[in-house]
Amino acid sequence: MAKLVLSTDGNVVFQYFLDNDRLGIGRRALNQVVIDDPAVSLAHAVIVPVGNDHILEDLGSASGTFVNGNRIERHILQHGDVIEFGKYNLRYMNPRASAETDLDRTMIFAGLQSVAAPGPDDPRPSPERLRIPTARPARARTPKARVVFTVGPRARSTVELDRVVTMFGKPGVRMAVVTRRPHGFFITHVEGDKHPRVNGRRIGAEPRQLRGGDEFEVGDERVEFKQD
Amino acid sequence: MSHLIIEAAGLSDVGSVRQYNEDSILLDAERGLMVLADGMGGHRAGEVASRMAIESLLTTLHDKVALFSPDDDPVTLRPVVEQSIIRANDEIFAAAQSNPNWHGMGTTLAVAVFHGRRVTLAHVGDSRIYRLRFNRLQLLTRDDSLLRDQVELGLIAVADASSSHNRNLVTRAVGIEAQVQPHLRDDEILAGDLYLLCSDGLNDLVDDSDIELIMNSLKVNLPLAVHHLVQAAKDNGGHDNISAILVRLREAAPAEAPRGWLGRLRAWWRSGVGG
Repeated sequence: MAKLVLSTDGNVVFQYFLDNDRLGIGRRALNQVVIDDPAVSLAHAVIVPVGNDHILEDLGSASGTFVNGNRIERHILQHGDVIEFGKYNLRYMNPRASAETDLDRTMIFAGLQSVAAPGPDDPRPSPERLRIPTARPARARTPKARVVFTVGPRARSTVELDRVVTMFGKPGVRMAVVTRRPHGFFITHVEGDKHPRVNGRRIGAEPRQLRGGDEFEVGDERVEFKQD
Repeated sequence: MSHLIIEAAGLSDVGSVRQYNEDSILLDAERGLMVLADGMGGHRAGEVASRMAIESLLTTLHDKVALFSPDDDPVTLRPVVEQSIIRANDEIFAAAQSNPNWHGMGTTLAVAVFHGRRVTLAHVGDSRIYRLRFNRLQLLTRDDSLLRDQVELGLIAVADASSSHNRNLVTRAVGIEAQVQPHLRDDEILAGDLYLLCSDGLNDLVDDSDIELIMNSLKVNLPLAVHHLVQAAKDNGGHDNISAILVRLREAAPAEAPRGWLGRLRAWWRSGVGG
């Protein structure tokens, strides 16, 4: 269960457990979290539970609401976040909000709107227009490499291998891709009767890892692979 | 009008973290029937639910689709698909009531039934259907998910959605309640179209732009394309099961002109023999 730890000067003053109700924060006694500090407004901020999230919202307070030093209007609380109120700190503790394991399990939850059957007059944005970003971890490693063409129509030009796959050769005739993975770059035959050559030797159906200085040929193009 | 040839490849992978794969997929290129299900529930009941959904749909649709000639009005398939999903819902819901270990189990669904020059698409939950047409990827389904509701209602900004923990909460699934209302749509298909059915284990970890790039680069080799999609999700963390089905549609008649003198000779020979 999530909780809030109120402290000042490093001393814990109180702990609040977050259940399914909204929780008001401010100087006024009606709030669930009452902070007696002149920098705090009467009704300063509120924490609203939505699904697995607790969303912190500033209520137009005079001095603003700060999380980990950044001023926010609305913020999805993360385990360990520190909300600052004058000389008081409110730390959000929710191990569930950091453990990726069980939260990933798909579960059913009541929707927020009565979803009418989407018809032509559906006012909501089309799925195409509203894209929710992926949950891909920012720490995902992307190695850097490039190729320099030595033979063929693109000779002497350089191409950065900065995408997940890069095509070589002619589609419909003879083609290979170089795939960028966390642990390196791999060349794979895609189509055509002649497989690409790496350092003069034809590769099979399996991907072949490339090392700095490797030369490979796809059709009439030859390139040198350079990795940082 | 000739019919389009359907080619398909699919993969369902446990991912890099989970112990079990609760996704199930079905590919029947001959009948143009593609189903993907992402199960949920404790005690491995998610596996039971997704497999039950696949088997139920296979049984119902397999027989019914054969009754329709591809030249029939394609809209007639829509109620057939809808009824088959409702039936799967009934079966899973009844099974869940009968076994305490299965209580609360359910599954998402993404269904595509290709028929003549049309496709009937259906989905429940957050499994998705995309289409690649003229090298551009388009999402055709709207996720039944809490996070999507929140973003649509303006409760959280699109940019903040990645810090939400509500990604796994679906607002609709098959087998959870006595009733289910699937989302259905019909589309005209074109030669060259590529359809992708996937579980959230893919699109949660691989950006649409990367999905588009992989599909565009590898569309001539469907098994390799599917493998690359799943691999990309695993490389980005693979914290969920990952399933993907790719379907390519192409013209039945060899449209391309024969190449070289030998090709032309062969074509001339074939046309002579064929009358």
